[in-house]
Order: sequence, then structure tokens, then C-alpha cells
Amino acid sequence: MRLWEFYARNSQEVLGLVGQHLYLVAISTGAAIVIGVPLGVLLTRRPAWRGPVLGMANVFQTVPSLALFGFLIPLPFIGGIGARTAIVALVLYALLPIVRNTYEGVAGVDPAVREAGRGMGMTDWQLLTQVELPLGFGVILAGVRVATVVSVGTATIAAAIGAGGLGVYIFRGVAVVDDTLILAGALPAALMALAADGLLGVAARRFAWRGK
Amino acid sequence: MTKPLEVEGLGYDLPGRGKGERRKSRSLVRDVSFTVGAGETLVLLGRSGSGKTTTLKLINRLLEPTSGEVRVAGERAADLPVTRLRRRIGYVIQEVGLFPHFTVERNVGLVPRLEAWPPARIAARVRELLALVGLDPDTFAGRYPHELSGGQRQRVGVARALAADPPLLLLDEPFGALDPITRVELQREFAALEGRLGKGMVFVTHDVREGLLLGSRIGLMLQGRLAFLGTPDEFRRSDHPEVKAFMAAA
Amino acid sequence: MSPNPLSPSPLRCAQGRLFGRGGTPGRSRWSLGLVALLLTGCAQRDRIVVGSKNFTESDLLGEIVAQQIARRTGLPVERRFHLGGTFVCHQAITSGQIDLYVEYTGTAYTAVLKHAPVADRDSVDRTVARDYAQRFALVWGKPFGFNNTFAITVRRRDATRYGLTRISDLTRVAPRWKAGFGYEFLERADGFRGLASVYGLRFASPPTAMDLGLTYRALAEGKVDVIAGNSTDGQIQALDLVVLEDDRHYFPPYEAAPVIRQAAITRHPGVAAALDQLAGRISDAEMRRLNALADVEHRDIATIARDWLRASLP
Repeated sequence: MRLWEFYARNSQEVLGLVGQHLYLVAISTGAAIVIGVPLGVLLTRRPAWRGPVLGMANVFQTVPSLALFGFLIPLPFIGGIGARTAIVALVLYALLPIVRNTYEGVAGVDPAVREAGRGMGMTDWQLLTQVELPLGFGVILAGVRVATVVSVGTATIAAAIGAGGLGVYIFRGVAVVDDTLILAGALPAALMALAADGLLGVAARRFAWRGK
Repeated sequence: MTKPLEVEGLGYDLPGRGKGERRKSRSLVRDVSFTVGAGETLVLLGRSGSGKTTTLKLINRLLEPTSGEVRVAGERAADLPVTRLRRRIGYVIQEVGLFPHFTVERNVGLVPRLEAWPPARIAARVRELLALVGLDPDTFAGRYPHELSGGQRQRVGVARALAADPPLLLLDEPFGALDPITRVELQREFAALEGRLGKGMVFVTHDVREGLLLGSRIGLMLQGRLAFLGTPDEFRRSDHPEVKAFMAAA
Repeated sequence: MSPNPLSPSPLRCAQGRLFGRGGTPGRSRWSLGLVALLLTGCAQRDRIVVGSKNFTESDLLGEIVAQQIARRTGLPVERRFHLGGTFVCHQAITSGQIDLYVEYTGTAYTAVLKHAPVADRDSVDRTVARDYAQRFALVWGKPFGFNNTFAITVRRRDATRYGLTRISDLTRVAPRWKAGFGYEFLERADGFRGLASVYGLRFASPPTAMDLGLTYRALAEGKVDVIAGNSTDGQIQALDLVVLEDDRHYFPPYEAAPVIRQAAITRHPGVAAALDQLAGRISDAEMRRLNALADVEHRDIATIARDWLRASLP
């Protein structure tokens, strides 16, 4: 098939773009976890912040991805053309599922467990690290899963602002109306999303606690 | 010798609604005083909303008293860092609250581990306590809470509360969620255990029969105050209307 | 089978209604519906659909053409602008979804007809006119008068520092430089590949690909060092950039002219006359000025077109 010929002829470029794509997704999801999980935990400690924080993350999600990339470009420091801007946008997109699921996972711990823990003299930190996070881990991981799959797809748009990745093939294909090129980009992206979804799904199920 | 628990003029006021002069606070607990000696069990009896659970939580500072003083083993509770205080008080609640991701052994050994006991000492202590509450250590130590029955879980809950050998135990309707047969079984075993442990205990319940069975003294709470404080015999003979109401329901 | 002459045909009924000769009342609703159907069918053929590519100049020229046709022929004009690149527009016109759009001779020659690029203007003009008519039933109008070729552009301070005036000069700095191009330029036969091979350009890494509109910004901000813009872009002066001379004459001429479906011309001969009035009216400098009004001063495209038409063709 023409697609396999294309891959065979351009194997180095293909691997390079796949690598760029993985880089965009990995860095942005990683950053979203580092920012989002503590933020989600904070929301369980400060209920008043829930509305504004979740509301803001929700707003970012609803902005169309190309528009968000466009908004970020003129900003100093985090803006401009290239991978850095794309990563900022991808982080913003990944925040909602991660923050919300962290909140749900931690807040969803059986209140009796929390009361028993506190009553026996656990500090807030001990309760968080030994009880709430381990018990909520499955739900948090489910949020990471959603964020990752969304990122793989959204990262294809990043090619519009010069961030590289598999979107390069898709945009090139659209520009010259070449199905093979479009597929050359879309297929690995879809496979990547499926793989991430599958792997993280297995991991999430392993960590789900039966009953509380 | 210092008593496990001394409570003087304990009070808990909720900030009320309304502004200025109209701002009235609600008292959930008012001017409660009692002591509990080693080997003694004080039963806090009362109807729903009488303030008995609130009083319990004021002792281990899950709620902060707005007036009065609590002394545990001679030390003022308000002066101790709250986690240190709580680790010296065993706490058993109705829903048990075992950690589902810990084995029975890790659940029971929780406070000793927090206090950094050597592992061998923790393991030995866990075995000792499981046997004490009627669970064979070899069978149960490695099990998870979801593999246990309600009665077995609460036995683990009691073992957990006793693990660090605290001088005082607080129990909030510990057998309330169990079926009647298991409840009676655990009440009997608990009664047998009480004297042997030599600890002070405050046992909250709304079940008169349970109170009469397990308490060395009974404190009847009504609208946040102690309406009666005395032995079970004194309770049966009392003329106080609230006591009579409870005896009638027994 | 000839229809029964005594039973009125639906069409005659409709005509009867229109010309007030009356018809049986029971049929009036049916015949009105039929008239409506015929009219909408006719309406599809009695308007011109103008398309444009996805960059400012194409939108501007499309708007000028649309307004010119409207004011000269009175035909309703439907606009489908910013469709996509060359190939999207080509597909749209060959499938009849649009009737006309502005194309560039060199682009048609190399990208659409897939001939190897040549610099001879007459040869290019003749070939595209002939091939488009034969293969696609498309007619080329007269060129507007400017040549919008690919502008290999660098920052002015780099041009001064490294003495860059011609594309050949790039070979000196290419190994240390980063190039940035739009997607179409990367894919086209007369695009990057041909350019690199004819001039022997070897960059440190493969060019960064991005939306064409962003390449100027990328160049100005130092994210890339050389881009392929358009020679009539308004931003070249505004951003203090320099266009390098195509000394080996790699690029064919890119004269902008309207391309229109033969069927549309046949049905509306007035359109051809309207388009001819635009021939040779826009110089390189004039196109650059109009582009700058849109891209740099952010003025409304319809207004720019209207003002220009009033000034140039009163």
C-alpha cells in the first residue's frame, strides 16, 4: 500500500515526528500532573476555591484548540512560535481532567476512614500520603488517562504553530489534498492514543479499590 | 495517681446566626464535668442531639472546646500538640473506618508505626491484640477489611485502638452498626475485657441496656448538660424524668 | 406518447398564473410550488460563486473581483473565501462548487499541471491557458499586472551582517541556520525541494513547518532565520525584512489572474467584460500597499476593495 511505501521511504522523518509528538505529550502531561494533582488536593482542603479553580480549568477546555494556540502566541515569555507555546496550551487542556479527578479521588475517600485516621493522631500530611492519595489513585489515574488521550489528539494541531509532531504530515496533506500524507500523520497519532488509553486503563483498574 | 481523664466545665458553643445583639450562639455542650479512673468505663447515654458524641470529640479535640478544661493522664489536652494527644487516646467509631488498602496487621499497627516502634515489637503487639479481641492472628493478620464480616471489622477496630497502649479509650456507639446477635456477642466479650485492661473508657451509646451492662458509671446527657451521673444501680432507682424515660424504653 | 391536449400541462398552468391568463383555481397551489422549484433551480445558475485561497492577498483579490462583477453585471455574487490552499481551490472549481478564483500562472504551471518550473513567462502563459482549457474547461482571464513570486526573506540585520543580496548567498550561512516554511511550500514541486536542489542549500536541520501566516512572525522573533514569503506581502517592510534575489531564476513567474469555469462564461458573457476591466490595473507596489492596509493596519477587506474600485475604476 502507498502508505507503507511512504513510511519505508521516509522512515527517519517519521520516527523524528513520532518522537516530537511523544515529547509534546509527555512533557505537557507530566507538567499537568505536577501542577494539577497538588491543586486538586488543595481543593479538598479549601472548598471555597473549588468553584473558581474548576471553573477556570473548564473554560480552557472549551476554548477551541487552534484558538488557544493563537491566543498564546503574542504573550511574552510563554508565547511565540514553537514547541514551548504548544506545551503551555496542552498543559492547560490537561488540567481539568487531572484536577477534577484528583479532587474526586481524594474527596471520595470514605469519611469514616478519614475520621478514624485523624482521631488516631495522623497528621494531615500522613493522612494524605498514606490514605487519601493511595485510595484515590485509581480515580486520579483515570483522569491522567483522559488527559493523555486528549493531548495526543490536540498535539496534532500544534503543528500549525511550528511545534512539529505528527500534525506536520496532516497539515501538509491537507495543503496539497494528499490522503496518503494525511493518513501518514493520523494513523500513528490514533495508534498512540489507543495505546495510551489501553495501558492507563489497565493501570487504573489495578489500582481501583473495591469498596471502602 | 493521675486519672486517665478529667473533664471540668467543658463547653462547646456554635457561632450563631444573626448580627450584633441578635447574634445568639447555640450551645451543644454546656458545663460538663466528670472524671474517669483506670479500669473505669463511663457510659455517656442520651437521645440523638443530646451532645454525647460532641462531648467525646471535645476530648480528643476533633472539635475544639470553647470553654472548660480536659486533662488526659494529668496533662492538659489544650497544651499538647493535637496529634500527640490523639495518639495517646484510643478511638473507636461506629463505622469502624479501617483502611481498605491495609491488611488487618497494618491497620492494627497504625499508631505504633506512626510512633516508629521497631517492626518486631509491632508484629508481636499485633498478634497479642488480635488474640485479645478473639481473632486468630495466623488467619486474620494478612486479610483485608473487605474480606471480614462487620463484627470482625469492629474487633479489629478495637484492637487498633489499643495498639499503642493508650491510657484512655473513646468509643462512639461502636456496636451500633452490627446485627443484634453479633452486637450481643461483642458486648459480652467487651464487658469481659474491660476490667482486665485497666484503662479509662468513655463509651457513647443511646442503648440503655448496653449502657447498664458495660458502664461502671452512667452519665445521662440532656440538651448538652449532664442530667445524671452515677452508678447503674443509682440510675435504675433515679427519679429524674429523663432517666425514667430511658428506663421505660429499656 | 403525446399528452392529452385537453388536459392543461403543469408548465402551461404555471405560465398561465404568471401572465395573468388564469387557470383552474384547484391547481394554483401546485403550480406555484412548481414555479418556486424552477426559480430556485434557475437561481443556482444565475449567480457567480467566487472562491479564494487562505491568505490575505487572495481574499483581497477575490473581494475585488466579486464587487466588480456585482457592480458591472448586477449578478448576485456568493463568496466562499479562505477555502484552503491551491489544491483545495482547484478541486472546488473543477467540481463546480465555485465558479471562479484568482490563481497564479506559475503555481498553475508547476503545482497543478505538475510541469518542472521554467522562468520563461510566455511559455508559462501559453501552457496554462491551453492545458486548463483542454483538461479542466477553465478559462484564464487577463492578469492583474503584478508578479507575486516566492520571496526568500531574511532579517535586515542578517542581510547586512553576512552580505546577503541573492539566494545564492544563502549557501554560506545555511549550515548554521534554521528555515521555516508553510505547508504548501514544503510539498510543492516548485517549493522547497526544488529550491534546495537548484541552489545547493543545506540547512542544519529540516525546515520547521508552520501555518504560512506565522512564518513572518517566526522570522521577526528569531525563531527561524529564513522563510519563503510572498513578494507582495505587506509585512516585509513593516518588519524590516529583506527579500533575496532569485539569481538562478528558479521560480517561474507568478502572475495573478482570474480563473473561471467555461460554463459560467458562456452563460454570463458580461462577467468576462467585467473582469477584463481589471486587467493590468494592479502593480507590484499597489498590491503590496493593499496587502499592508489589511495585514499591518488591519483594515476591513471589503472596505479596502470598495475604496480601490472607486478610485481606480470610477
